[in-house]
Amino acid sequence: MSESFEPNIVAFLCNWCSYAGADLAGTSRVQYPANINVIRVMCSGRVNPLFVMNALQQGADGVLVSGCHPGDCHYMEGNFYARRRLGMLKDLMEFVGIDPRRFHMSWVSASEGHKWKEVVQKTVDDAREAGPFQGFRRRQIDW
Amino acid sequence: MTEKPKLGVYICHCGINIASTVDVEAVTEFAKGLPNVIVARNYAYMCSDPGQLLIKNDIKEEGVNRVVVASCSPRMHEPTFRKALQEAGLNPFFLEMANIREHCSWVHGDREEATAKARRLVAAAVAKVRQLEPLEEREVDAEPAALVIGGGIAGIQAALDIADAGFKVYLVEKTPSVGGRMAQLDKTFPTLDCSACILTPKMVDTASHPNIQLMTYSEVEEVSGYIGNFDVKVRKKARYVDFDKCTGCGECAAACRMANRIPNEFDAGMGKRSAIYLPFPQAVPAKYTIDPENCLYLTRGKCGKGPKCAEVCRAGAINFEQQDEIVEFKVGAIVVATGFDVFEARKKPEYGYADYPNVITGLEMERLVSASGPTGGQIKIKVEDEEIVPKEIAFIQCVGSRDKSVGNEYCSRVCCMYTAKQAHLVKDKIPDANVRVYYMDVRAFGKGFEEFYDRVRREGIHYIRGNPSEIFKRGSKLVIKVEDTLTATPMEDEVDLVVLAVGLEPRQDVRKIIDLLRLSQSPDLFFLEAHPKLRPVDTATDGVFLAGCCQGPKDIPDTVAQAKGAASSAMIPLARGKVKIGAQVATVNENTCRGCGFCVEICPYSAIELVAVNRFGHPVQVARVNEALCKGCGSCSAGCLSDSIQPKSFRDRQILPQIAALGVMR
Amino acid sequence: MDLEKLRKTAAEIVSRDDVKYLIGWRPGSFGYRVSPCFVQDAAGAEELIFSPLCASNLATYLTLVEKLPVPRGEEPDRRKVALLVKGCDSRAVVQLLVEKGIEREQVILVGLPCRGVVDLNLLQQKYPEGLEKGELSWQEGGFQLIRNGETATIPREEILAEKCRLCRYPNPVLSDVTIGDPVEPWETEADRGVEELEQKSVEERWDYWEEQFSKCIRCYSCRNACPLCYCDDCILDRLNPIWINRAVNFSENTAFHLARAFHLGGRCAECGECERACPMNIPLGKLNRKLAKEVREKYGYEAGVDPEAKPFLASYNPNDPEEFIL
Repeated sequence: MSESFEPNIVAFLCNWCSYAGADLAGTSRVQYPANINVIRVMCSGRVNPLFVMNALQQGADGVLVSGCHPGDCHYMEGNFYARRRLGMLKDLMEFVGIDPRRFHMSWVSASEGHKWKEVVQKTVDDAREAGPFQGFRRRQIDW
Repeated sequence: MTEKPKLGVYICHCGINIASTVDVEAVTEFAKGLPNVIVARNYAYMCSDPGQLLIKNDIKEEGVNRVVVASCSPRMHEPTFRKALQEAGLNPFFLEMANIREHCSWVHGDREEATAKARRLVAAAVAKVRQLEPLEEREVDAEPAALVIGGGIAGIQAALDIADAGFKVYLVEKTPSVGGRMAQLDKTFPTLDCSACILTPKMVDTASHPNIQLMTYSEVEEVSGYIGNFDVKVRKKARYVDFDKCTGCGECAAACRMANRIPNEFDAGMGKRSAIYLPFPQAVPAKYTIDPENCLYLTRGKCGKGPKCAEVCRAGAINFEQQDEIVEFKVGAIVVATGFDVFEARKKPEYGYADYPNVITGLEMERLVSASGPTGGQIKIKVEDEEIVPKEIAFIQCVGSRDKSVGNEYCSRVCCMYTAKQAHLVKDKIPDANVRVYYMDVRAFGKGFEEFYDRVRREGIHYIRGNPSEIFKRGSKLVIKVEDTLTATPMEDEVDLVVLAVGLEPRQDVRKIIDLLRLSQSPDLFFLEAHPKLRPVDTATDGVFLAGCCQGPKDIPDTVAQAKGAASSAMIPLARGKVKIGAQVATVNENTCRGCGFCVEICPYSAIELVAVNRFGHPVQVARVNEALCKGCGSCSAGCLSDSIQPKSFRDRQILPQIAALGVMR
Repeated sequence: MDLEKLRKTAAEIVSRDDVKYLIGWRPGSFGYRVSPCFVQDAAGAEELIFSPLCASNLATYLTLVEKLPVPRGEEPDRRKVALLVKGCDSRAVVQLLVEKGIEREQVILVGLPCRGVVDLNLLQQKYPEGLEKGELSWQEGGFQLIRNGETATIPREEILAEKCRLCRYPNPVLSDVTIGDPVEPWETEADRGVEELEQKSVEERWDYWEEQFSKCIRCYSCRNACPLCYCDDCILDRLNPIWINRAVNFSENTAFHLARAFHLGGRCAECGECERACPMNIPLGKLNRKLAKEVREKYGYEAGVDPEAKPFLASYNPNDPEEFIL
C-alpha cells in the first residue's frame, strides 16, 4: 500500500439529523478530511443496503451511513429499519471478506457537529488502513 | 418529459466563504466538460437577485432545463432556488444543489483538496439532476376546525383565539372541569393578581363560546389522517350525572356517604371531597361528576338502602346506567396543551416529604394560602395533633429541578418566583413569621421579576445560599441541615414548616399523547418542538402544535404567548382552507409490485395499502400510496425487494448515478 | 414410507373439483433421477413417489408458474394447488404466506415427515449413475439402494445432504394432511462450512469467495430454483437503473451474489436449492445459512416457521443490536 493512498468515501446522510449535523460542523468551521463525499437522503431508512455494495463496486473505498439517534428519527422509525438492514449487510460483507473497516454506520444528531468530525475521521482512517479496494471494482463505470 | 437534458451549473463564491478555499474558476471549467452541461458560471452570491437572474436568463435564453447550484446547504437555500426556477417557467424540482460550503470550503483547509472535492460534489449533482423528474405540489381541502387537547390556561387561550377567528374548536379536557393548574394557584407572580379572578372569565367563555364545543371529562382516543384532515375519536367518559339535568346545586355532594372522605385532587390532596363532586367551586362546567373509583354504588353495587345522591337530587340527574360515549369528528389542525405534573417530592427522601406532614410542596402551599383552599386561606398546620400557625418557615428551591440525581437537568423556570411570591404571602398573612429561602441561584429573568425579588427581600425574607442535605425531626420542630455556602458555615435550622419548591415535569401519561400524535420528546422528556428557535410551537407532525408546559416549563405569560402562537399557526391551514401536499412522495410501479406488503408494514404513517388490481385477467394485490399521508422518507423503498416503490426525487435511478459519479471522480 | 397412502390421498385430492393439480415427485427417466410432476387426475397419482432422492423443493412451482393472460370474458383459474412438502419445503411455503406470495386457501399441503435426503453428488461418487434406474429408500441408520436387482446399504452420514445434517425441522411446520409418523428430530451437526470460514481472516475469506464467485457463469439457476426468489421482474435484470452489469466477471458476479444473499436475509428457508441447482458448485448455501444464523442469534428471528410472523426486513425491534454503530 502506498503511503499517499487517500481513500474515497461515500456517505449517505439523513436530511434531518446527520446532514444537519454536518452542516453544523460547517458553520462551526470544524476541520475534517476531504475524503468524505455526502449523498443526501431524506432518512437513513431510505438507504437501500445495496447502495453500500454499489458504492464499493463503483469506486468507493469506504461507505458511511448516518442517521438520527434511535428514537429521534424525523420519520419515527426509519433509523430502526436502517439499523436492522445494514447490520445484516455488515454481517454479510464481513463473511465474504470485505474488510469491516470499509463500512460504518453512525448516529449523528443535528447538534453533533463535533461528533460528525469524529465519525468522518474514524471512517477515513479505517478505510485508509484497509487500503484501496480494487478487487471488487466495476470494470467500467458509467453515469 | 422526453426533452433532452440541458444543464446549467452555477458555482457560488459566497463572497469569500467558498472562493477562498475552493478554486471556483477551476470547478466551473470542470463543470463545462460534464455530460449535458451547456452552461457553467460562477458568481459572487448566487442567492442574490442578480445571481438568481443569471439562472433565470439562462433558462429563458439558453434553454437550460436542469439546474445545479453549487453553494451552501440545500437546507438553507433550496427553497430560494426552486422559486427562481419556477419564476423562470421551469419545474422547480429540476434543481439539485451541491453543498460546497458547509460540507466543503468551511471544513477543509487545503485548497487543492477542497477544489477536488467540490468537483466531485458538482459531478454527483450533475449525475442526479439529469435523472430528476418534474413534480407538482398538490393541495387538498382543510377542515376549518381545530382540536385543542388540554383545558388549562394554554388550551383555553388557544381555543378562544381560534374560535374568535371564526373556526370551530373542540376543546377536550380529561378532568371534569377546565382550568388546569392555573385554577389551583392563589396569586400570580410578580403582579399578585388573583389567579382565579383572571382565569374564571376565560373558563366561562370556553363553555359559552358559540364556536367551542367543550368536552370535559373526555379523552382523545384516536387520531388519524394528516394536516387539514385529521379524524379524531374522543371518549366522553360517563359522569353518571345527566349533563343537561344537573343544576350544579351540590346537594348530592353534601348527602354523599363518602362526603369529606376522599382526598381532593384539586387541593393537592389537602382537602376532602365526596364521591360525587365538583372539582372546585368555580368549575366549568358547573356539573357534578361521580368518581367511579370511590362511589360505593359503582364499586360495590350497593350504597346503603339506595344511593343518597339520587335520593336528594331534585333534578333527577343521577344516572348510574350512563355509558362512555365515543364522539368522532374531523379537524384541520391540533393544538396540544396537556400541561405538566409537579415533581414527586418523595423522590428526594432526604427532605422527608413522605415522613413529616409539615413538609409540603409548593402546590400544596398554593392551596394553603388560597381563600378557596381547605383552610380558607389561613396558613395553619398540624403539629402533633395541635393546629398551629407556623412562625418559622423555610422554603427550599430547586426540588427536582437542576438535579441530575433525579434525572431532571433543566431549570423549571417558575419555582424561584413562586417561592418569592409565597414567601411574600406568608409574610403578609403572618407578619411576625421568620421566612427564609434556601437557594442555589435565584433566577429572576422575566419582566418585573428582579424587582419583585428585590421587594420580597426588602420585606425581610432571608435568602440563604445553600442546598439542604437533610431534614429531620427534633421534638416538635423540623431541623434543616445545610451549609451556607456564601459564608461556608454549616448550620442546623429549626423550623415549623418546610415548603419544597417542586419543579415541573412532563405528565405521567405523556406516552399516550406521543403514540396518539407521533410526537417526539426532547432529552428533558417534554414534547419536542420542530425547531428550538424558529419553530417553537410546531412539531415534526404537520398540523400539530404545542402550547404551554407540555413543551417545557414556563410561567403563565409565556404559556399564554405560546398558546396564542400555536393558535395562530393552527389557523394558517384553517384560514387558507387548503393544505399543500409534499411532491416528493413515494410512488409504486404496479407492474412490478409483487404485493408482499413489506412497505405497508414499514410505513410509519400508514400511507400505503394493498389494493386489488387486475393484471391480465388475474386478480393481484399491489401497493398503493396515499400521497397526502406520505412524507417521502423512503423507508419503504429500501425495504422493497423488487424496488417497485420509489420516493420521487430520491429514486434508485437518481441515487445510483450520484454514487457512480463520486466513484469516477475520485 | 407408506407410498400407498400417499398415492391414495393424492388421488382423492386431485379428484376434487376445487383442485387444479397436485405437485409431487415421480421417478425420472434414468439413474437416480427424480422429476417433479403435476398430477391432474387419480391415475397420475399412481406415479408419485417419496424417497431420499426427492431433494427438490416443489414450493418453487407455486410462484414459478406463469400467469398467462386470461382471455376476455373468461375467469382466471382460481382452483387450489396441492403440494407435497418436506419440512424445509413447508418452511418455504410458510415464508411465502408471510410475504403474501400465496394465499393459504389456495394451497393444500400434503406434509411428509422426512428423515433427510441425499446429496446426489456423494451418492454418485459411491455408486456411479448409469442408465438403469436406481431406487433409494430409508432404512434404519441409513439408506437402501436397489439397482439392477442388487441391494446395497449405505450408512446415513456417507451420503446425507449437507442441509439435512443441519436440519432442525424434519417435520412439516405447516400441512393440511400428513402422511407417515412424525420424525424424531436428530442431533444437528455444527455448520462446519460456515464456521470454518468464520474462523478465517477477512483476507482469506475474500480469497475463498473470489475463487467461488469467479466460477459463476451467471446462469441464474440459483435464482430460479429458489422458492423465495419470485419477483416477476428481478431488480438485477433491470436496465434503469442498472444495479448489475450483464458482464460475467468477478466484480459483477460478486455484486450479484451479495444482492441475492442479502435479499434472502431473514427470508431463507434453508432448503438448499440454490446450491443444489448451481452447475458450478458454488457453495451458495453458506451465504444464506450465515445470514440465517445471524438473524436467529442476534435478532431472535427465524424465517418460515410462523405464518403470522411479521417479515424480518419489514419489522424492527427498538432493542436490535447496534454494537456496530459508531
